[in-house]
Amino acid sequence: MMFGRLLWKMLRSNRGRLAVALVAVTSGAAVISALLNLQFDIERKLTREFRTLGANLVISRGNALQANGDSSATPGAFGSPTLMDQSVLGQIERMRTPDVVAEAPFLYVVARAADTPVVVAGTWLDQISKLDPTWKLGGEWITSREDEAQCLVGRSVAQQFNLAPGGQIELGYLGRTAKLRVAGVIDAGGTEDNQVFVNLPVAQSLANLRGPEGQIQFVQLSVNGTATSISNYAEKLASSLPAYDVRPIRQVTEAEGNLLAHTRLLILSMVLLILLLTALCVLATMAALAMERRADVGLMKALGGSMSRILELFLAEVSVLGAAGGLIGCVVGVALAEWMGRRVFGTSITPRWDVFPLTIAMMVGVALAGALPLRFLGKIRPAVILRGK
Amino acid sequence: MFARIVGQSFARNPRRKMLTVAALVVGMAVATATLTIALEVGDRMAREFRSLGANLLVTPQSDTLPLEIGGVDYRPVDEGAYLQESELGKLKTIFWRHNILGFTPFLDVPTQLAGSRVTDTTLIGTWYEHDVPVPDGTTFKTGLGTTHPSWRIRGRWFRDGANEAVVGMTLAARDPEAFAIGKKIQVTHSDGVSSAASLEVTGIASTGGAEDNAILVPLSFVQAYSGHHGQFRQLYVSALTKPADALADRDPKSLTSAEYDRWFCSPYISSISYQIEQVIPGIDVRAIRRVAETEGRILSRVSTLLWIVTLAALIAAGLAVAATSAAAVLERRIEIGVMKAIGATNTAVTALFLTEHLTLALIGGAIGFLFGAGLARFLGASVFGTPASPRIILLPVVLGLAALVALIGGLIPLRRAARFDPAPILRGE
Repeated sequence: MMFGRLLWKMLRSNRGRLAVALVAVTSGAAVISALLNLQFDIERKLTREFRTLGANLVISRGNALQANGDSSATPGAFGSPTLMDQSVLGQIERMRTPDVVAEAPFLYVVARAADTPVVVAGTWLDQISKLDPTWKLGGEWITSREDEAQCLVGRSVAQQFNLAPGGQIELGYLGRTAKLRVAGVIDAGGTEDNQVFVNLPVAQSLANLRGPEGQIQFVQLSVNGTATSISNYAEKLASSLPAYDVRPIRQVTEAEGNLLAHTRLLILSMVLLILLLTALCVLATMAALAMERRADVGLMKALGGSMSRILELFLAEVSVLGAAGGLIGCVVGVALAEWMGRRVFGTSITPRWDVFPLTIAMMVGVALAGALPLRFLGKIRPAVILRGK
Repeated sequence: MFARIVGQSFARNPRRKMLTVAALVVGMAVATATLTIALEVGDRMAREFRSLGANLLVTPQSDTLPLEIGGVDYRPVDEGAYLQESELGKLKTIFWRHNILGFTPFLDVPTQLAGSRVTDTTLIGTWYEHDVPVPDGTTFKTGLGTTHPSWRIRGRWFRDGANEAVVGMTLAARDPEAFAIGKKIQVTHSDGVSSAASLEVTGIASTGGAEDNAILVPLSFVQAYSGHHGQFRQLYVSALTKPADALADRDPKSLTSAEYDRWFCSPYISSISYQIEQVIPGIDVRAIRRVAETEGRILSRVSTLLWIVTLAALIAAGLAVAATSAAAVLERRIEIGVMKAIGATNTAVTALFLTEHLTLALIGGAIGFLFGAGLARFLGASVFGTPASPRIILLPVVLGLAALVALIGGLIPLRRAARFDPAPILRGE
């Protein structure tokens, strides 16, 4: 293979110059592939951060049912006027996907503790720390949703009743009472500081809503994902639970969507600018390389090589350079992306394999564009060049 | 003589300089744009995060336990402590007054409705748009629009001080006839003492919270209705803050005076809370941690990310300029050979080329700065909706950067050129 041998000779005989060009292509490819990897992963990383905002989906009894003469005066329950059967929890559980970070039912009762009214929230205590990761706790979490002997109290409640982890609180509602041990004090930085958190059966017993058909007021879910994937999941839930109202908490989802879109746009525009610069850098290097090859071109023409054949040879050389640089650059880029991921998000970035062909194609394209000045060599007469002008 | 040679080089072959200048312009434009955006992004993103709504909650200090579920206080009106509306102007007198973007007071009162299927509900008194007199003589317009931007309305919000009401979506759905826009609703006080009043429904609100089940009315109406003139129960404040760091989390009492000054003069959520507590005595200011913490974490992550990307852009810009400078030197090997053949020293040749490069760097850097400022404006406008303002402070930084990369890019091939033997070059090898 004459062509292959010529190409090999050319690459070998010019190792110094080629090394410089290779370094330029490699570093360009590394930066681009690292940023592209980051760009593809950033959405997933940032949506996870947003889960500290707490629940973003609420399932409650639909409005349609409320119009059917349902009394708003449910015994002791405030906030949401209608109750729903807890059997819905089983249905939600069956629809659970790995994106559901936490799920908890709620039933509020305004009970009395030492003759002072206090809001008692019945929920799944094993879920609430996942539902609201920003809560700080003095004492210990309750890890079982069946534990009916312990409760968590809000900071203000603890202050009011002089409670500390290990203490006792007695809650009463319409003659029914529950004596509970305080396992921990919650500093929620919100209205939850004024509430007592108990497991669902305790609240149901107080409100006399317990039993196989126990009642709850609503279910909160914290779902990971983009605005679209969350609303898709909400729609899926809604269609399998026709009697219920599945609502995204707008404040959370909307702000998330906006911020994500803006951050991604920002990073994307930066990536494009860097791409432009890298292309320019590779272009300059390749153009310099091409100019240096003028003597070679002159010689080849003098020996009777056709211009198209000579160009083919040079373009092949440049493509090999682009592909090699692109490949090495991609590998370096994955490591770079990994470092950035650890530095920024504290977790690793999953490398995307589709970035590889994209980056290599881009590098070959840029290298070929850099070889464009070779076109002008067609006009050059070999004699002039060989004389050294 | 030296100046003339440099001048001639520019005059004789302006096209040859084009590539270097182009690389400098593009490189420095990108550097300017990314630096401008990176400097501004913290502030911009912090503003964006205000779409999450209020991040501070102000309540009376010696209060009974609020019976609050999902934002509505179910305590009877005659129980618990109140805050004075007349003191609110003081919020705009604290050190970080410009970071207080808005605040909205709330006063909830249970009520009974006449002439509707729904008999018991809650009236929530608040501001939609209200002019608050500030002690310095100006007024500050604030209300739900800034502290609760995610609330939506069909129809229009109530006018301040008018007998108008906005009905929560869920409540309205329970009796669509009685709560239609334009209808009048009759409210009576739970204790039957206050006189009945009539309110015109101007809109149906959807908030995603307990307000969906209540009626929102002007604060002044609830104050008159419940007999708590000039008072309210809760205040939501939306403030621009800086992500918390080690200093922000420390107890102000444990700080040395230098640390205290730095803490006081940083817009941490803790220092803003502290300053609010100082101007209005008897209150308890709490950060709504869910919002504040998420905001802080994401802000610091995005800005770290952006600085890394900016660094990458700067390196790429430097490489691009250096590569073209190097190419420019290589292209002129014959010229260098001639100069050396007629007796120029290496120092003279190097000085000549570096002067050329420096001139190019300054020209390219200045043009690049202008383009970069334009690019930053465009990027700011497309990403954040408002253009990023150019920063003159960046001009010397960018010019210095341009000079540095052009010199480095030129020096490496020039050192190689210094080793050239003029004879083979002139022969054309």
